[in-house]
Amino acid sequence: MHMTNKSKWLGFIFVVPFLVSFLVFWLIPLLYGIWISLHDFRLSVGNNGFIGLKNYVDILTPDTIYNRTFMTSLKNTLMFIVLSVPPLILISLGLALLIEHLPKKLKTFFRTVFFLSYSISVTAVSAIYLWLFGANGGYINNILMKAGLISSPINWTGDQPYAWLVIVIATIWWTIGFNMLLFVNALDEVDGTLYEAADLDGASAWNKFRFITLPEIRNISIFVMITTVIASFNLYGQSLLITRGGPEQSTSSLIMGINTTVFGNNQLGVGSAMALLMGVIMMLITGIQYWISYKSDKDELAKPSRKERKRLKRAVNAGPTNVNQHPAATIDKKERKIT
Amino acid sequence: MNMKKIGAAASTGLLVFSLAACSGGDSSSDSGKTQIKFINGFTGGDGAFMTKIVDGFNSSQDEFEVVQSQEKDHYTKFKSGNYDLVVIHETSLETYQKDQLIQDAGPYMETAGLAEDDFNAAGIQSGTVEDKLFGVPLDIHPLTMFYNEELVSEAPTDYEQLKALGETLQSENENLYAFGLPSTGLTTFYFTAAAAQNGIDLAKDGYLDFTQSDYADALMQYHDMVFKDNTSPEKLGLDGEFQAFMKSADEGAKQTAVTMTGPWYYQAVKEKYADNLGIGAMPTLFETAATTGNAHTISVAASVEDEEVKDGISEFLKYLYTPENLANWAESGQTPSHLATLDLITEDPEKYELAAKNQEQLDTYVAAPRVYQFDEQMRYMNEVVFTKLTSEPNLTKDALMSELEKATKAAKQIADTQ
Repeated sequence: MHMTNKSKWLGFIFVVPFLVSFLVFWLIPLLYGIWISLHDFRLSVGNNGFIGLKNYVDILTPDTIYNRTFMTSLKNTLMFIVLSVPPLILISLGLALLIEHLPKKLKTFFRTVFFLSYSISVTAVSAIYLWLFGANGGYINNILMKAGLISSPINWTGDQPYAWLVIVIATIWWTIGFNMLLFVNALDEVDGTLYEAADLDGASAWNKFRFITLPEIRNISIFVMITTVIASFNLYGQSLLITRGGPEQSTSSLIMGINTTVFGNNQLGVGSAMALLMGVIMMLITGIQYWISYKSDKDELAKPSRKERKRLKRAVNAGPTNVNQHPAATIDKKERKIT
Repeated sequence: MNMKKIGAAASTGLLVFSLAACSGGDSSSDSGKTQIKFINGFTGGDGAFMTKIVDGFNSSQDEFEVVQSQEKDHYTKFKSGNYDLVVIHETSLETYQKDQLIQDAGPYMETAGLAEDDFNAAGIQSGTVEDKLFGVPLDIHPLTMFYNEELVSEAPTDYEQLKALGETLQSENENLYAFGLPSTGLTTFYFTAAAAQNGIDLAKDGYLDFTQSDYADALMQYHDMVFKDNTSPEKLGLDGEFQAFMKSADEGAKQTAVTMTGPWYYQAVKEKYADNLGIGAMPTLFETAATTGNAHTISVAASVEDEEVKDGISEFLKYLYTPENLANWAESGQTPSHLATLDLITEDPEKYELAAKNQEQLDTYVAAPRVYQFDEQMRYMNEVVFTKLTSEPNLTKDALMSELEKATKAAKQIADTQ
């Protein structure tokens, strides 16, 4: 179809807001960040000249303050990812499944209730958890001591592994609503006839979850996993306000390390280099997640598992009885005999 | 004009408009007054008192308006924002001067009718860098002792008295202690106190040298206070010295009779203890009496060039350093460095209870070492070393020395970034 000059320009003008936003808020900051990371750039006095990859070398050279800051905080952040991502996915999925099985009226209510904590600021969340998990006279310690479960108070925010536990619990409570909502929407999209067919075939709840729900929400699960890992990489407020990065800097996150380097040490160049390295690591991890998901998807399509091969074989032997599927695959021998 | 040109002009205009929106504005408000953007970190109980002063100035003015921002991370905001006036701690003043973020405050003081003679010696020292006043002295806030008169009738003056108090309290209730040492938080004051009261100078060639045997011995005394003498509970956590003072032993929490903390907690402790609150000078925990802490100064951003803004700053300083106005700051618990205001405080010690008490201990005030990036040089000590001192019963001097070496190495590298 031939487009007139007018319609071309009209189309261009519609794209301009996106282009401007893309340039101003993404491409220019990224390129500027790369440029800064190649300079001796101080927050106070500005640019002291081009230094090539020196900032990166300083960060990666053992025994420098920047190396210690970066490596310690990277290790801590990875630890947080390992500890927080599984519960953030599993609990949110569990909540979504529970909500999915509630009556419609209650469903809306509980969906709102669980999502509500997501709208609270990290400062308020941290204040609540500091009060709950205070080492000296904190609410949880008081309850545990009164119940006789502990004889002396636990230093929740000052000893490991408790400090991580508090941060992970606070993070789950704070952010679980977002993942849960994504799962609830994904579950809403699952075709109800699949469950009906499975019910007719006498499938157990677990089998329905394993063979219908999980495959149907697979794409959203991968999305949730990737965004949760990225969100966990950005740990800042909780560890800053609940543990101040302690005990002994063991919960100091990458963002905290970059913040200290830029605003504490004044080293905008080094901080930018750290941020870019962090970006590269995040991209690598996300890439690996994509690759594993893609690979397992491909493998699944290409090679059915032994169990599935057996089911398919049985289905072929029994012959088709339904236009949508091979129900014989789920009908046992006894039923076939009756038929 | 063809469509191509119109499109290009429209998109360029939109880009310019959006970028222009990011640039800083001018110094005039809608009312036509010249605005002075003032940022400070007074987010605690003292914040309302500074706001009262600022509001007083604004209502007295037709020409100028001070726009105040009170931010917890006000240094970060100042470095990345566009402010004219900033409150800077004594320990950071040299860094800000070396980083060319602030300018000589002398001319502003002169226009405001202020001279060095108007301030006490500790105040002048707090604002001076390379023989020039880069910060107008606002206050000194030493480590302040509050005590619960229900548990101790008089302010302990040395460690022996604190130790004896601890033994008495422990015999009554195992949750009662003499005082508390925090794991993190105000630990800089405790580190500088250990140096000052033992006559140790931590500054060496522009960095902090913690690897001095005498200093390690002094720090091990803090360890003994927790694990040998039981004068302080262990593992009190962030701001634990204050938190433990506010707790109740009857509810199963560890409670202290005395706290050595920041004066900014004055409103909170006064609210809790009312007439049972006692205020004392910092006790001698080590060899000699010495008071440590920090000071607030008011600095002018290096970027200030506008003559009207400069006049406004001088006018604000003139208003602020009028005793009746600065007395509001003393009411918050801070001890002003301005002599005329101190005279006013002395006349009414009941109204300015804490400021009146604290000014008595300024004779023994020892300022923290002047090094580039003092707070960053102290970071490892604050975040790691004090936690170890108050949480590891088996910590030895050798193990501590190893940590002090790490802290010194980091401090030296930070000093070298200058």
